[in-house]
Amino acid sequence: MDELPYKTILCDVLVVGAGGAGCRAAIEASRLNLDVIMLSKELIGKAHTSMAEGGYNVSLGNVDPDDDPETHFKDTIVGGNYLNNQELAEILVNDASQRAFDLEEMGALFDRTPEGKIAQRVFGKQSWRRTAYASDRTGSEIMITLVEGIRKESVRVFDEIFATRLLVHDGRIAGVTAIDLKYGDYLVFRAQAVVMATGGAGRIFTVTSNAQLDVGDGYAMAFEAGCDIIDMEMIQFHPTGMVAPESAKGRLVTEAVRGEGGILLNNKGERFMNNYYPEVMELAGRDQVARSIMTEVLAGRGSPDGGVYLSISHLPKRIVEFRLESMIEQFEDAGVDIRDEPMQVSPTAHHFMGGLKIDTNAQTTIPGLFSAGECTGGIHGGNRLGGNALAGTQVFGALAGGNAARFAKEHERTGVDRKEIQKEFNRLEAMLKRKEGISPSVARKELTDLMWSKVQIFRKEEDMAYAVKELKRIEKEVVPNIKVDMPIKRFNPGWHQAIEFEHMVTTARMVAEAAFMRKGSRGAHYRVDGDPNDDGYYNIVIRKGPKGKMKLQKEDLVITKIAPP
Amino acid sequence: MTKKFKASIERYNPDTDDAPYFEDFEVEYEPGMTVLDALLYVQDKYDSSLAFRWECRGGQCGSCAVRVNTIARIACRTKVDPDADLILQPMQKMPVIKDLVVDMTQTEARIRRIRPYVARDKPPERPEIIHSQDIEILREIRKCIECSACLSNCPIVHETWDYPGPMIIRQLARLELDPRDVEDRVAMAMDEAVYSCTTCKLCEDICPKSIKIPKLAVELLRAKAVEAGYPLLEGQRIFVDSMKETGRSVPEKKTPLLKNLETEEFLVENPVGRVAFFTGCLIDYRMQSTGKALIEVLNRNNVDVIVPKEQWCCASPAFRTGDMETATMCTERVTKIFEDAMDKYDLDTVIIACAGCGKTLQEDHRPLIEEMRGTPPRFKVYDMAEYLVDVVGMDRIVKPTGKLDLKVTYHEPCHLGRGQSVVDQPIELLKLIPGVEYIDDPYKNRCCGAGGGLRAGQRELSMKIAKTKKEYIEATGADVVTTECPFCTIQIKDILKGTDIPCLYMPDLLLESYKKGDEKKAEGKTAKAKAEA
Repeated sequence: MDELPYKTILCDVLVVGAGGAGCRAAIEASRLNLDVIMLSKELIGKAHTSMAEGGYNVSLGNVDPDDDPETHFKDTIVGGNYLNNQELAEILVNDASQRAFDLEEMGALFDRTPEGKIAQRVFGKQSWRRTAYASDRTGSEIMITLVEGIRKESVRVFDEIFATRLLVHDGRIAGVTAIDLKYGDYLVFRAQAVVMATGGAGRIFTVTSNAQLDVGDGYAMAFEAGCDIIDMEMIQFHPTGMVAPESAKGRLVTEAVRGEGGILLNNKGERFMNNYYPEVMELAGRDQVARSIMTEVLAGRGSPDGGVYLSISHLPKRIVEFRLESMIEQFEDAGVDIRDEPMQVSPTAHHFMGGLKIDTNAQTTIPGLFSAGECTGGIHGGNRLGGNALAGTQVFGALAGGNAARFAKEHERTGVDRKEIQKEFNRLEAMLKRKEGISPSVARKELTDLMWSKVQIFRKEEDMAYAVKELKRIEKEVVPNIKVDMPIKRFNPGWHQAIEFEHMVTTARMVAEAAFMRKGSRGAHYRVDGDPNDDGYYNIVIRKGPKGKMKLQKEDLVITKIAPP
Repeated sequence: MTKKFKASIERYNPDTDDAPYFEDFEVEYEPGMTVLDALLYVQDKYDSSLAFRWECRGGQCGSCAVRVNTIARIACRTKVDPDADLILQPMQKMPVIKDLVVDMTQTEARIRRIRPYVARDKPPERPEIIHSQDIEILREIRKCIECSACLSNCPIVHETWDYPGPMIIRQLARLELDPRDVEDRVAMAMDEAVYSCTTCKLCEDICPKSIKIPKLAVELLRAKAVEAGYPLLEGQRIFVDSMKETGRSVPEKKTPLLKNLETEEFLVENPVGRVAFFTGCLIDYRMQSTGKALIEVLNRNNVDVIVPKEQWCCASPAFRTGDMETATMCTERVTKIFEDAMDKYDLDTVIIACAGCGKTLQEDHRPLIEEMRGTPPRFKVYDMAEYLVDVVGMDRIVKPTGKLDLKVTYHEPCHLGRGQSVVDQPIELLKLIPGVEYIDDPYKNRCCGAGGGLRAGQRELSMKIAKTKKEYIEATGADVVTTECPFCTIQIKDILKGTDIPCLYMPDLLLESYKKGDEKKAEGKTAKAKAEA
């Protein structure tokens, strides 16, 4: 093993990830007078949060005065098919309002009611109009705000840094290894507490709404470090992603389109949701709408490009222009004027309900390691309600940041295992030095196609078995042989992709293994060959066993108020 | 067969290369292809180490700005033209890290210099009551995704970081407009050189969120500064004072065009149209012959021209510098003069040969009048080239026949191209002239540095921008540069002093060709007569 040079950077609290949750955690921690470093895999402000469109759920009751956290809680649990950790869901619904006000204190501007309060609109599976919004660019509004917030606080932002491994020492978190994407230097960040806010992993699927960096780094790093991971089989396929042109495939078409009155039509012009969920129609749960659309497409009632139609053209143009401005822009690029013409849509891999298992302090099973945002599991159960993710980033971001800071104050920094560090950097270096091997882009395509064809909306036993087998093979045969085409360290996307690949495979395997274990249908996990004897009221927890093996076990649900039927 | 095009991409790894170089790649075109798609194609097919940034591919994150055929734009929302080569370069003003990836450190530092967040002097009410009508403009200019493309394109930032550039001056306006922010953002805007912007609108033109930065940020901050009692810069004040008193922004030298003309009416037999000619201050007071040339060119094209004797300044200098009181006064006056002319002469079209005046009438007068009285001015406004090409029409234009052996390039005035969307028409007119070889300048739409009160207020900075413009013009190898704005003409003439490249005004050049054609015809006639005799 070569002795590779690296630099060590110290801080008190390290936040890995700079989206909605990461920024909020960093702001919270820095307010407690600690030295905070936030690592961003991209430039600051460019995280996937900026792509969230629809809104932020908060039971303010500004439009429907009868709404309250209790109802928000109930909707969240029922929508999540009772798999949610109810302690966490309670935190979500109770803190959502204060965290929304925090955002406005920092400079956010949600759209208003005539009285000047935050306006709220209807989203799927909600009893009241609860979703606060800024047109259909709510995520962007929140991201812009948090960047303003970060620039006010004393957070040290290290952007374009890619964390590759969590360092654990004496049973506690010690820091991370990382590379500087710009210049390719090896770095070690050491801190008393670390917050994971690395987002999701939509990119393990061929068709996804996610930004290019959402490859599951956090899930894989946490698993490797021995952290418990929960609900990984629960992946939300957003019912409405773009279908054409090819390069825009999978891009999100916000639920706000349906919230504002958009209707789904098949190629016969039938409003087909009437055949599936006549009570709630287009505003059924995201899993339900996604399956309904796929059923229509598979039955040959789809649009020419393999989707269905989503139409908003019956609404006044003025409303569409004010409330769905990004959609107009997005479809204009595709040559469609949504004020007059229907959009073509089909499901797209969107959100991971599962992730790092946390307690009510947002702490994971590794002391000193906290988690917030999409990489965190348990809050949304089997299906996340539209609008609960942005709220979740703020609620759990603040919680994780604050508790990480308190943890950092109460603990000394641990040491680090330098052998482990060298081993990691040698692994990264080997990808550059290898003479023969597999190109990351080829490997990646194989992986994403496997996941998209086998582990998607409609799941069955033999597909799951096949996917698990294939993923084990990829892990054994492809991962150790990944070779970067050009052996350059300075800003080399080929190298970045190569490093990401292992994270993607580990994440994909957790998804497939859990989906294989769960024999019945529940939430977003739909088995066409569902075992009727499996009521599915449990969570699947994954952790690393002896010799690095992936161990899965079923755990009882965490219930505080609402028992499953 | 799949269509293919060539992508030339600037490569540079400072670790191993002494200087940047271009590498060409063949790309298979797909309908709807964006520049980002082309980059991903190259990365996937030819070289996975090709460095560029991207994230969301949907115009939401602002990561992927690069220079596309010289102008910085976000790659994911810029469509590829399969019939042309695609030249991709890193943004300017920011040092290259590798290939198309640039170092944003300075930009981030520049943003932080303006304390770019809502500053508060006490904890807010929770929740805060904010009314929609108070945040209407704020909501518009808040959409910025910080792609930084406008910084790369800004002619002022190109010369100096003293000016923070469109993206950051916009953030200042965003904070000034926020009822919650307690800092004196107007004072800060003065400190941040808000009077340096030429209002060239390149930022607005390429903004992925179409934010009207010159109007909603720069001019708005300037108006607030004037309101707060900050005096205009000396050179700017002279213009504004003069227009208030005399209706003209500059002092009289030789006899003005309007005094010189014996009549208001220049009528033709069988007219194809009738227009009123808005001269503007410079054509009236400084370029009398150009004004006459335009009347003649229009008459030769069978258009009746009415030139109201009493005219008034459009108040562009007041709009640009923030003196809204003077601007409003002039707007009302101009509107009245031309609405009266409409009624008196039964016409509905006003024609302008000055880019600045045209933009001001279209973009500033219209909404202001509409706001004041509920309806916009009743007349339509056309640029002269736009009128000839689009209204008279290419089939009805009387083609000039005199041959001018000239290599001609064109400077597109900012307030014509981006101010009035008149881009191709002047070039079409140029190409009508026999003997003219038109040389396209890839930088033709870059600012000359005169506008926005910059030439008047800060001559030194203005000339720095002009010097850059001069380099672009000289690089074309043309004999003459033509344009359609008196202010650009003066500025470009100034900077081209000492070279043998003249700057010519479009109507003058057209008339020259017409006249030469007449001579030829006359000669022909004389020769024929002689032969017959």
